[in-house]
Amino acid sequence: MANYYDIDDILADEELVPAVFLEAVNGVGLFESNEANRIEPRSKVELPFWLAQELHLRQAVSVNIPPCFNKKTREEIGADGAHVDLRSRCSYFYELGCKIVQLIGDKTIGSLLLVAFQTRYKEVLIKAHTAASALTPKFLSLLTKEETKLYDAAKSSTAAFKTWRMGGPRFQKAAVLGRKRKPIGE
Amino acid sequence: MSGQSDPRGSTFSAAELEFLAEDETIEIVPNLRMERLSLICGDFGPFRPQIATQVPIWLAVALKKRGKCTIRPPDWMSVEKLTQVLEAERDSASSFEALPFHYVEISRLLFDDARDDIPDVYMVRSLIEDIKDVRFHKIGTGLEKLSSRTYAMKLNLSAMEVNVIRPFVTGGLETFYKLGNPELIQESERPEHRRPQPADRGPRRELRR
Repeated sequence: MANYYDIDDILADEELVPAVFLEAVNGVGLFESNEANRIEPRSKVELPFWLAQELHLRQAVSVNIPPCFNKKTREEIGADGAHVDLRSRCSYFYELGCKIVQLIGDKTIGSLLLVAFQTRYKEVLIKAHTAASALTPKFLSLLTKEETKLYDAAKSSTAAFKTWRMGGPRFQKAAVLGRKRKPIGE
Repeated sequence: MSGQSDPRGSTFSAAELEFLAEDETIEIVPNLRMERLSLICGDFGPFRPQIATQVPIWLAVALKKRGKCTIRPPDWMSVEKLTQVLEAERDSASSFEALPFHYVEISRLLFDDARDDIPDVYMVRSLIEDIKDVRFHKIGTGLEKLSSRTYAMKLNLSAMEVNVIRPFVTGGLETFYKLGNPELIQESERPEHRRPQPADRGPRRELRR
């Protein structure tokens, strides 16, 4: 695990990836089929990434490419990356992508991620620094978690600058200072 | 040095930048008689009526509030100079004019407390606003060119401008760096991404002179 204390890293590990069991496993059951505590070889399951990774390293499962990196998504990103709804497919598109590439070594995903970010980054930039707040909700629902973070960072720093420029209290009184001292010994 | 208001210490708040800007010196004409002030940051004064002297802005503002001096606005804060700067900013799409590093903060400090000392204050104020808007627009268009090949950017930006774009730029560059990692990218695709782009580098000038 790369970043033990990084909440986004942990949440990205929760994303489901399709996997196929290579061996029969005893003592575990799938939620859907509860007849036996046993998994047959070649049964397809969706596992959270952290589990799939460990099992993959032990050669118990083979991990397939998650649906958010399939051909359809690639074509959509190639056509107009800025308006693809990535959040509904995978809210940690980039994080998961990086992890998947390292796990199964499909480097076309890496290039896809870079191209996707390059096209979508511009949109985030323009929207974050210029757009009125009324415009944003629809646009925000397309962004992945990583992009939302970037967007919020830009938005809040611009907003902080604007409030400073508009003026406001220069000095903030500490709460302690307002109080009257109580006489001792009452 | 890093900001105190942000727990990660990566950005300053606008008020902190204003505080830093108050250390810049400015010329005042005192109307009081006072001995030399020996402060940690240097000696200022002696103060004699009608004899101009250089002091930090915080001191100038404090004296001004008590009616003990008039502030002489800096050279760049005149209508002619600002008009020139504004025109130059509008003319060149990629380069930034040399303005004081803290020009946003200094102008606000003076507009707040020394309005009567600035000639044509409304004109000056709107010029500075225009300059700021033009520059922010240019920064925005410049940032569109950011990519995984961006390693360093040198611009003639002011403290406030840098501070406003900092969270976004660092976040964006980090992601580009992460995704541009050669381990993740197919070898055959790299030459295409590695086009030499001399025109794409945008403005390169010293951040501060």
